[in-house]
This record gives sequence, structure tokens and C-alpha cells, in this order.
Amino acid sequence: MSILTTMLTWITDPLAYGFMQRGLVVAVLVGAVCALLSCYLVLKGWSLMGDAVSHAVLPGIVIAFVLKIPLAIGAFAAGLGCALATGYLKQNSRIKEDAVLGIVFSGMFALGLVMFTKIETDQHLNHILFGNMLGVQWPDVLEVAIITLPTILIVLARRKDLLLYCFDPAHARAIGLPVNILHFGLLTVLALTIVASLKAVGIILVIAMLIAPGAIGYLLTKRFDLMLGIAATAAIGSSVVGTILSFHIDAATGPTIVVTQAAVFVMALIWSQRPRVAISRTAALK
Amino acid sequence: MFMSQVLDLMLEPFAYNYMTKAIWVSALVGAVCAFLSCYLILKGWALMGDALAHSVVPGVAVAYLLGLPYAVGAFTSGIIAALGITFVKRLTMLREDAVIGLVFTTFFAIGLLIVSINPTSVNVQSIVLGNILAISDEDVMQVIIIAAVSLTILGFKWKDLMLAFFDESHARSVGLNPWALRVLFFVLLSACTVAALQTVGAVLVIAMVVTPGATAYLLTDRFGVMICLAMVIGAATSAFGAYVSFFMDGATGGLIVVFQTLVFLTAFVFAPKHGRLAARRASRAAVAS
Repeated sequence: MSILTTMLTWITDPLAYGFMQRGLVVAVLVGAVCALLSCYLVLKGWSLMGDAVSHAVLPGIVIAFVLKIPLAIGAFAAGLGCALATGYLKQNSRIKEDAVLGIVFSGMFALGLVMFTKIETDQHLNHILFGNMLGVQWPDVLEVAIITLPTILIVLARRKDLLLYCFDPAHARAIGLPVNILHFGLLTVLALTIVASLKAVGIILVIAMLIAPGAIGYLLTKRFDLMLGIAATAAIGSSVVGTILSFHIDAATGPTIVVTQAAVFVMALIWSQRPRVAISRTAALK
Repeated sequence: MFMSQVLDLMLEPFAYNYMTKAIWVSALVGAVCAFLSCYLILKGWALMGDALAHSVVPGVAVAYLLGLPYAVGAFTSGIIAALGITFVKRLTMLREDAVIGLVFTTFFAIGLLIVSINPTSVNVQSIVLGNILAISDEDVMQVIIIAAVSLTILGFKWKDLMLAFFDESHARSVGLNPWALRVLFFVLLSACTVAALQTVGAVLVIAMVVTPGATAYLLTDRFGVMICLAMVIGAATSAFGAYVSFFMDGATGGLIVVFQTLVFLTAFVFAPKHGRLAARRASRAAVAS
């Protein structure tokens, strides 16, 4: 009984603080939307694309400061710009796609860094790079909700089309799906997700949130709807545990969430490797 | 009178010991990384460079914590990450890029976690963004050793590596061991990643090990020439970036990579055979004939 009470207070104690409540809401929202997207990225082989777009938003954020427009708009434009520039450079040169992606996103990130040192701003570079989950205010929470909730709905509503596009674009085209729209739709949703995750985990760690949950789901099931569910559960659970854990061990929140997810992945990996005794015995008999 | 003032201003960085040091160390790192970049871009291993740079971060954090040499920690965690990638890939059906992404982001997060628990031991920005202007003499020594050893080995082995990577059966038939050469290459790559980490930081290492090679690839069809061009581009952009950062008060890594990207874009448009303008001329000539 006393162990239960201790566990309960371990969880509820941090929630007495307003900043922890806000942080937790943001962590759950961001975890959920990243988890959905991660299923597609893992299946399509777009891990590097997620990495690239998340780094490439930096110059957009800096320009948005200067022009005094919402940061989300600048970040979104830059992220999409990275994807388009990569497509153009790849089509018009003989360099492989992975190299082109690397060149474009590192160039944009570097440009953002240089611009950042030259402007006057009240923003901390560390908060953009690593997030500032415990520093979010209620208006920020609202902004994150406004971006994430429609994104989640769109992805869930079109999940079958997106899945077909990821697995077999040629088939998708053959049955009359608008492949180009799906391609850019997926990119747009990816950019939006990264923008929403900015305040929580920052632009450097968001890629971890965009790979691990999908990989966990992939290990545990062969059915896509179930994979979405497992990924979302794993991500939301890790977000909650990670946020509370970071409070107790006095560590940065974003990295703690990511390491928690990795621990879940390792557990899933071990579970997926469990010996199938019944099958191997019948196989041995034959 | 005015000219001499401009000249004084331009020479001013060289009056500072730390600036001259930063400039030549950057050039050295730029040259070695550029050498390796030629193999990476032709093999489609760009993600490996990025992954290694992020994977070494926990090692660096622990090394600072325990007062060990920077390179030892980095190297250890790089190798553990590489083993982790191989291990997970063997056990699961996950795509390779997802496995690499998963492992390197996890390592990176562990590194940031260690740093955030012990904020005094090392400044997180100097790991992530590099801090060549404040590099210590011991670290300079490490970079020189890494660069000298790597350049010597590459100088002797570049043809063997080329053969082993791009024509494995031929390599085998002339008595080379492709597997051993591959291990050698990745050991060199992780060593150079550690060196590059100090110059441009973990996030931008990928540019150092991709962009110069890609630029050179647009300019020539011969591998030997490509290596020389890439090294010149890598060294020149790195030295120039460090030099200009004096006038910008910092952001050395950012400037180096911005210059590398600009050189790449210039080559993309103006390269004599593989550039956009040449391609347009060629297609116009084809239409005319």
C-alpha cells in the first residue's frame, strides 16, 4: 500500500506546479502527433527527410523574428523550402538524394545560426534548439493545440491513402489517387508537426520523436491501424513519464522524453525476440 | 591611405594568436573531412556521417565529466553506436535509415541528458555548435594527430578503398579485403568526426563530410581529381569561414558551412560539364541540331 502511495505521489507531486501541468499537456499533444507521423516516415524511409526539415526551419524562425510575423509561419515556409530545394537539386544534378538533403539542410541550418548571431532578439538559441517545455505559457499551449489537433485529424482521416502512397506510389497512382497532392500533403503535415514540436523538444530532438514510436509499433504488429495505436500509446506514455522523471532527476525535459522512448523501444525489441516455442518445436518435429 | 586602412582591417585577425590557430586548424579539419566526403557521397552514406557526429556526444560529455581525453570518450561511444545499429538491424525488419536515425538520436539525447544533469562540466553549445575559437592546446594536438594519421593512411590506401567500395569483386580478386578496408574507413571517419565536432559542432559535421565531395563531383569525372578538388574546397572554405567569423563575432561553424554551401551552389549552376547552364546549353544545341 505504501509503495502505491509513494508511486502516486511521485506522479502527482510535480503536477502541483502550473509549469508542469502546461508542460505535460504540450508533451502529450506533441508526442501524439509525432507518433502518427513517425509510422509513415519509418515505412517510407523518410527518416533523413524528417531530420532535414527539422533543422532547416531555423533560418525561417530567425527571419520571422526580424519581420515580426508568427514564428510558426517562418518555420513552416523554411521547412517546405528545404524539401522543394532538395527535390529541385536532385532532379537537376547527378548527386544522390541523401547527399543533397544533407547539403541543403546543413546549409540552411548554418545560415540560420549566422543570422541569429547578427540580430537583436529576446529569444534564446538554446530554447529553439532544445525546446523549453517547462517554460511554455497557456497561449503557447493553445498554439500547439491549434496546430496539432487538425494535423492529427487529417492524418487519421487520410491514413489509408497515405499508407498506400508510402508503400506503393505506382499502385496509388494507378487507382487514381492524387499522388502529388499526397506527397506534398505528407511534407506539409511533417513541417506542421515540426513547428508544433518546436516549443516542446526543440528542432534538434524532434527527429527522435519522429522515428522511435513508429519503430516501436513496427516491431510489435504487422497491422497498420494497430501500429498507429501502439505508436501513439508508446509516445504519449513516454512523454508523460519522461516529463515527470525529468522533474525528479532535475534534467532537461526533451532529452529525458527521448531516452524514455528509447527504453520502450529496447523493451519492444526484447519482446519481439521472444522465442516462439510452439512453432520451433513443430518445426523440429518435421 | 584608405587602402592601407582596409588592409590593416583585413590583416587584423592574424594579429591574434587564437585566430591564426583557429584558421589553420579549421583548414586542416576541412581538408581531411573533404577527402572522406568523396567516398561518402558516392556510396550514399551521407546519413552515416550525420549519425556518427551525433553518436559521439554522450562520450564527449562523459569524458569531460571524468577529465578523460575528449577523443577517447567520443571514439568509445561512436563504436557502441555503430554496434547498436548493426545489432538492431540484424534483429528487426526495420529499414536501415530508421535504425540509424533511432540509434543516433537516442545517443544524442543521452548526451544532452548527461550534460543537463551536470551543467558545469561542459557547455552544451560548444558540443552542438562547435567552439574552434576557444580550442585548447591539448585539443589542437588531438586534431593534428587525427588529421596526420588519417591523411597518411588515406594517402596510401585511397586507391584500395576506391576499389573495395565501388568494385568489390575486382578488389577481392586482386587480394584486397573489402571488409577490413570498410572497417578502416569507418574508424577514420569517426576520428575525423571527432575533429570536426570541435570546429563546426555535432549538427553541422554532415556538411563537412558531404558538401565538398558533392561539389567536386559536379566538377570532374575522375576520382583522383575529385579528391584533390574536394580537399582544396574543404580547406579553403573552412579557413575562410574561421577568418570571417572574426568580423562577425562568432558563429564559426555556421560561416564555414554557409561558404561550403555557396561554393556548392556556384558549382551547381556554373560547372563546365555537369552544371545547370551547361545542361541548358547542351539541350538547346540538341534542339537546334
